[in-house]
Amino acid sequence: MSQPVTIIMIEDDEGHARLIERNIRRSGVNNAILPFSNGTAAMNYLFGKDGSGLDRKGEALLILLDLNLPDMTGIEILRRVKENKYLKCAPVVVLTTTDDSQEIKRCYELGCNVYITKPVNYESFANAIRQLGLFFSVIQVPPAAI
Amino acid sequence: MTPDATRRRAIGQILLLAAGFLVLVAISASSVILVNQARKDNGLVVHTVEVENQINTLLLEIRRAESGVRGYLLTRGPEFLSDHQAAVAATLPAVEKLARLTADNPVQTENTGKLRSAVEARLDQFAKEMNFLKQNQPEGAVALVREAAASNTSGAIRDVALAMRDEEERLFAVRADNADRTQRLASLVTIAGSGLVIALAGISIFLVRRSARARDEAEALLRDNNINLETTVDQRTADLREANNEIQRFAYIVSHDLRSPLVNIMGFTSELEELRADIFRRIASLSRAAGPVSPLPVVTGDAEPALDGEDRQLSQDFSEALSFIKSSIAKMDRLITAILNLTREGRREFEPVPIDTRELIEGIVATVAHQAAEAQARIRIEALPNIISDRLALEQIFSNLIDNAVKYLKPGVPGDISVRGRTRLGFAIFEIVDNGRGIDPRDHQRIFDLFRRAGAQDKPGQGIGLAHVRALVRRLGGTMSVQSELNSGSTFTITLPIAWTASNRNRDT
Repeated sequence: MSQPVTIIMIEDDEGHARLIERNIRRSGVNNAILPFSNGTAAMNYLFGKDGSGLDRKGEALLILLDLNLPDMTGIEILRRVKENKYLKCAPVVVLTTTDDSQEIKRCYELGCNVYITKPVNYESFANAIRQLGLFFSVIQVPPAAI
Repeated sequence: MTPDATRRRAIGQILLLAAGFLVLVAISASSVILVNQARKDNGLVVHTVEVENQINTLLLEIRRAESGVRGYLLTRGPEFLSDHQAAVAATLPAVEKLARLTADNPVQTENTGKLRSAVEARLDQFAKEMNFLKQNQPEGAVALVREAAASNTSGAIRDVALAMRDEEERLFAVRADNADRTQRLASLVTIAGSGLVIALAGISIFLVRRSARARDEAEALLRDNNINLETTVDQRTADLREANNEIQRFAYIVSHDLRSPLVNIMGFTSELEELRADIFRRIASLSRAAGPVSPLPVVTGDAEPALDGEDRQLSQDFSEALSFIKSSIAKMDRLITAILNLTREGRREFEPVPIDTRELIEGIVATVAHQAAEAQARIRIEALPNIISDRLALEQIFSNLIDNAVKYLKPGVPGDISVRGRTRLGFAIFEIVDNGRGIDPRDHQRIFDLFRRAGAQDKPGQGIGLAHVRALVRRLGGTMSVQSELNSGSTFTITLPIAWTASNRNRDT
C-alpha cells in the first residue's frame, strides 16, 4: 500500500462509535479512524468545500456507515459517494441496527460493499467488528483517483 | 312522512273512492227513476192528445151523421143514407172509447156522462128523422131537423166537448209542464252527479299525485342517505386504515430506535464485566502483597484470582448485578425483535393460493416431531378441508398452535393432540385439541394479548404467539376462540373463509 488507509466512521451514536473503535483496535488494526457524528460533517469532509470530492483525490478511504443519522439517511450518503467519480472506488461498509431485507437490498443496489447488522448481543457485536477489523487489515483499497 | 300519516292518507283515498262509487250509484238510480218518470209524464201528455183527438173524432162523426141526414132529406140519394148510417154506427163506439180513455179523471167521467146522454138524445132525433123519411113524411123530418137545429142538443154536445177539451188542455199544460220539469231534473241530476264525480276524480288524482311526490321525495332521501352512508363508511375505513398504518409505522420506528441504546447498554455492560475482572485481579494481587504469607499458589492468566472475605462478597455482588442487567437487556431485545417482526408481518401482503391443508399440517408436525417425541406426545391429523388462503400465514397459525399444544402438555401424561376440520356456510372450521394442562377460563382473553402469558411460567416464551395468530386469522377474514379448563386440555377453534380473496377484507386491516 502506497498510502495508509483512513477509516471514515459515520456514526451518530457516540457509544456505538466508541465500541466500534475499541473492537477494531482490539483486532490489531492501527489505521487512522476519523469519526463523524452526523451526515453533514461527513459529507463536508468527503466532498470538500466545493462538493466535488476533489479534496480527497489520491487518498485511500474506507467508509463505515450507519443508516440512521439525525440529519440525513445513510442511504443518501451511500448514493452520493457511489455517484462521485473520486470516491466511488472507496469500499463502503454499512453497519447499522436495521435488518430489514428491503433496506439491505437497496444498499447493495446502490453499491455498498458490505452490510452488517449490529447485534444487540455484545459478544456477537464485538465478534463482528473484530472480524471486520481482520478484513480491514487484509483488504486492498485503491486511492481515490480517476 | 310518519306511518300514521301514511295510514290516514290511504284511508282517505279509500273513502274518496267509495264516495265516488256511491255518487255514481245514486246518479244511475235517480236517472233510471227520473227517466221512468219522464216516460210516464210523456205517456200522460200523449194520452191527453189522444183524448182530444177522440173528442174531435166524436164531434166529426156526429157532424157527418147530421150532414148525411140533411143530404138525404134534400136529394134522397142512397149514398147519403149509407154515410149517415155509418156515422151513426161509429158514434156510440167513439163515445165508449172516450169514456174508456177518460176513466181515470172524475171530471172528465162526469163530462163524458153528460156527453153520452146528449149524444144519445141526438141519435134519438136522427132515428126519428130517419123514421119520418122512411115513412115518406119529409115535412116531419124537416120540422124535426129545424127543431134539432133550434134545440140545445147540438149546443150541449158542443159545450160538453168544449169543456172536455178545455179540461184536457189544462191537463196537457200541467202534464207537459210536469214532463218538462222531470226532464230538467234528470239532466240536472246527471250534470250535478257528473260534476261531483269529476270533482272526486280530481281530488283523487291530486291525492295520488301528492302521495307519489311524497314517495319520490322519500326515495330520493333514502338514496341520498345511502350514498352518504357509503361515503361515511368509506371515510371511516380510510381513517381506520390510516390510523393502523400510523401505529405500524410508529411501532416500527420506536422498536427500531430502541435498539440503538440497547446496543450501547449491552456493549458497555460487557466492557464493565471485563473491567470487573481486571479490578478484582488487581485487588487480589494487592491484598496478597499487603497481607501475610499467602497459602494459595500464585494465579496467572485470566483465571479468577482467589479472593477472601469481603472481597469475595463484593465480587459476587458485582457479578450478580451485571448478570441481571444483561438478562434484562436480552429480554428487552427479544421483545423489540418480536414487535419488529409483528409490524413486518402486518405489512406483508397476503397472496391467496389453493392450499392442501393436510399436507401443510403434516409438514408442521414433522418439524415438531422431535419435541413431540420428547414429550411422548402423539399428533393425529383427521380429515381437513382444503382452502384458498395465504400459505405463509396459515403455516404460522398452525405451527404456533401445534407448537403450543406440544409445549404445554401435562407433565407425566402422554400427550394426545389432534387436528380436525369441517366446513360450514362457506367457512372452514379447524380445531386443535390437546389433553394438556389447560387454561383457566379467566385467562382466555389474556392469552391473546401481546406479551401476556398464563399458567405456570416454566417454559421459555415471549407471549407473542397467540397474539400473532389471532392477528393473522383476523387479517384472513376469520375468527378464533378457545375452550379450555385448567388441567383438562384445550381446544383452539379457527374459522377461516374457504376461499379468501384480498378483497374479503381490507388488506391493511
